Amino acid sequence: MIRYALRRLLAGIAVLWVVATVTFALLRVVPGGPFDKERVLPPEIMRNLERRYALDASLGEQYVDYLRRLAHGDLGPSYKYVGRDVADILAEALPASLELGALAFALAAAGGIALGLAAGTRRDTAVDRAIGLASLVGVSAPRFVTGAALILAFGLALDWLPAGLWEGPLYAVLPALTLAALPLAYAAQLTRAQVVAVMGQDYVRTARALGVPEPRVRRRHVLRNALLAVLTYFGPLLATLLTGSFVVESIFAIPGIGRFFVTAVTNRDYPLVLGVTLVYAAMVVVANLAVDLAYAWVDPRIRVGAEKS
Amino acid sequence: MRLRHAVAALALAALGCRGERAEPRTLRINLATEPPTLDWNLATDGVSIIAIQQLMRGLTKLGEDLRPEPDLAASWDVSADGRRYTFHLRPGVLWSDGAPLVAQQFVDSWQRLLAPATAAEYAYFLFGIRGARDYNGGKLADFAQVGVRAPDAATLEVELAAPLVYFPALVNFMVTFPIRRELVERFGERWTDPGNLVSLGPFTLEEWRHEYRLVLRANPRYWAGRPPLDRIDAYMVQEGSTSLVLFEQGLLDLVRIPPLEIRRYEGRPEYVRKPLLRGYYYGFNTRRPPFDDARVRRAFALAIDRSQFPPLLRGGEQAWSSWIPPGMPAANRELGLRFDPGKARALLAEAGVDPAQLAPVRIVFNSDQAHKLVAEQVQAFWRDNLGVRVELAPREWKVFLKELANDPPPVFRLGWGADFPDPDNFMNLFTSYSENNHTGWANPRYDALVEEAAREPDLARRQALYDRAQRILCEEDVPIVPLFVTGANFAVAPRVQGFVPSAMDLFFFEKVSTE
Repeated sequence: MIRYALRRLLAGIAVLWVVATVTFALLRVVPGGPFDKERVLPPEIMRNLERRYALDASLGEQYVDYLRRLAHGDLGPSYKYVGRDVADILAEALPASLELGALAFALAAAGGIALGLAAGTRRDTAVDRAIGLASLVGVSAPRFVTGAALILAFGLALDWLPAGLWEGPLYAVLPALTLAALPLAYAAQLTRAQVVAVMGQDYVRTARALGVPEPRVRRRHVLRNALLAVLTYFGPLLATLLTGSFVVESIFAIPGIGRFFVTAVTNRDYPLVLGVTLVYAAMVVVANLAVDLAYAWVDPRIRVGAEKS
Repeated sequence: MRLRHAVAALALAALGCRGERAEPRTLRINLATEPPTLDWNLATDGVSIIAIQQLMRGLTKLGEDLRPEPDLAASWDVSADGRRYTFHLRPGVLWSDGAPLVAQQFVDSWQRLLAPATAAEYAYFLFGIRGARDYNGGKLADFAQVGVRAPDAATLEVELAAPLVYFPALVNFMVTFPIRRELVERFGERWTDPGNLVSLGPFTLEEWRHEYRLVLRANPRYWAGRPPLDRIDAYMVQEGSTSLVLFEQGLLDLVRIPPLEIRRYEGRPEYVRKPLLRGYYYGFNTRRPPFDDARVRRAFALAIDRSQFPPLLRGGEQAWSSWIPPGMPAANRELGLRFDPGKARALLAEAGVDPAQLAPVRIVFNSDQAHKLVAEQVQAFWRDNLGVRVELAPREWKVFLKELANDPPPVFRLGWGADFPDPDNFMNLFTSYSENNHTGWANPRYDALVEEAAREPDLARRQALYDRAQRILCEEDVPIVPLFVTGANFAVAPRVQGFVPSAMDLFFFEKVSTE
């Protein structure tokens, strides 16, 4: 098990290196640089800027230098935010994204599984159909629509909740709901489908025939087996939610890292783009690793298979 | 039932918090984005300047009529040849830590601004000073050779390379504000952090939560007296519509109104509109056919009916056919080509251009709702009035800038907002040597007129020089077609008193109060 985890960790580091390299290359291919502005700068000032940020070195030198710094955990200075390091920017912005993401993940996971189980075990009833319709809406509505609808209802019409800013638990309600709506609905659909499939299995019929009480059948035999497929979805979902959402953070004015995924590219702030990309990639790698380990724990066949190979 | 109780409790809690939040003597504004820096030597953008203007002051300030008036300089003299300015500092001005303001702090600031290692983007604001450009370009190593010095604590002497009548307006700009060199050296890049930053304006920096909020505090040592406000909370709410909802919820006091919402606010007491010194124009690539012929450019300009843009955009725009914007000295509404489709077609025929044979004309602009509306309108004008085909090409911002720099498109959209309220800031743009002239157009007569006007202290003579230059630019050679000037639109809460918007889109809160 430990050897398995270690091997996956090494593979993860290789993935990060590939991501850093590809991002580095792509950024230099995209036209326009960090100091191209509406007010064009005189050539001597452009030269001073390029020298300051070592952009006058050859691309190869810049790449080697970048990797060397990266190995020491130095993500370099931001080109846009004068005097601030990318590591500092990310460290300051990450907590808000993590809090919001964790909240939304908890909402999506708990709500999605509960609704999916409720619908799957009451197949073709009014409850099933209502949940089916609601989850269809949830899966289809883009976040900016969900967010706007929530702001309109609870912010403007009812005036119960603030429409933005990040000052305390009340301020997290609307953005967390907005962020959770889509994965919640999707998790509900996924869980329902799995539950329906598992309910038809022989071992469920056997358990019932043996007189196991229905709640116990659902918890032990149905849910546990149905969750396997849902878990696969939760890994990348957790990574996505924890690294912030550009749309939700912009709409609700939350100081997270989500906005940098767009603004850093618009500004051609190379070190910041690389920084957020690497953070996201690292989260995905870790979350997938966690899911695989959880998998192995839930389903012994996977663990045995891995150790044999 | 339990759920309903929970919702009710939540609602009550929300309402409870809301009441406490509007603290007296606190102004809550929206900056929209994080200021890239509070280092006034390095700042270049419209957000940073909002914060910096509350923290700092310059040698001069702009009066209601946009003329430079004494600020940290109580007065100044100009030598007879117009090349030497002597600023006499106001006595008794203190920094927020109690240290006195001395002239050497300006010299230190300008040296830092111009030093190549600082890599300040706006170092060129002082390129008019003798030796400044060479020092910034690394050709001159000794700053003592640059024309600025402090003979005593209260006097700053500046020697220019050539007369610049607008120099007092230039030193109202943030990059020229004085610095405390010893603090910059002690704290390095962290000198603008709360706790380190020492300022001398009406407010001081208390808190800077990046990407979220700046908190400014009244400066009791401000030389003109402590401001009525205790504190300013400057939030960074990116989304215009969210910012407006927060205003309507009573969580913000002063916000910009997004274009689509302006109609809803017109006529309401919270609504404030201000025309800006900001021009919007279409430029031609004059090096390539068909726009290498001035008659063709004139024809395309004559085919545009500017009066259609304000009702289309609804942001307080004003149709304007010349380049110096209204409100700026030497602006002249009589200049420029007016809508005349008949004359436009005749000119096109005279130039030997058959609209049916002409390849589609490409208009390139940066992707944005307003720019797209303008481009579609222009497309319709040229199709209906000239019979030419037009294709629209939106571009991502930096891609657009790169294209302008390397290979300017046949027709492009751009704007220009005043850095300092002098016509030179606008007219200089289209000299043959300006980095911001993307048209490829060069006219030595125009260059000479603009240079002469920059040296001319007499206002009437200056106006005449600029009128002649504007005729060349907007009526004869027409490398650009000015379309309109833009406006700023604000929602201001009733509890705010004394807010005066500025044509430069600057903000001054030292006289603002709240109930």
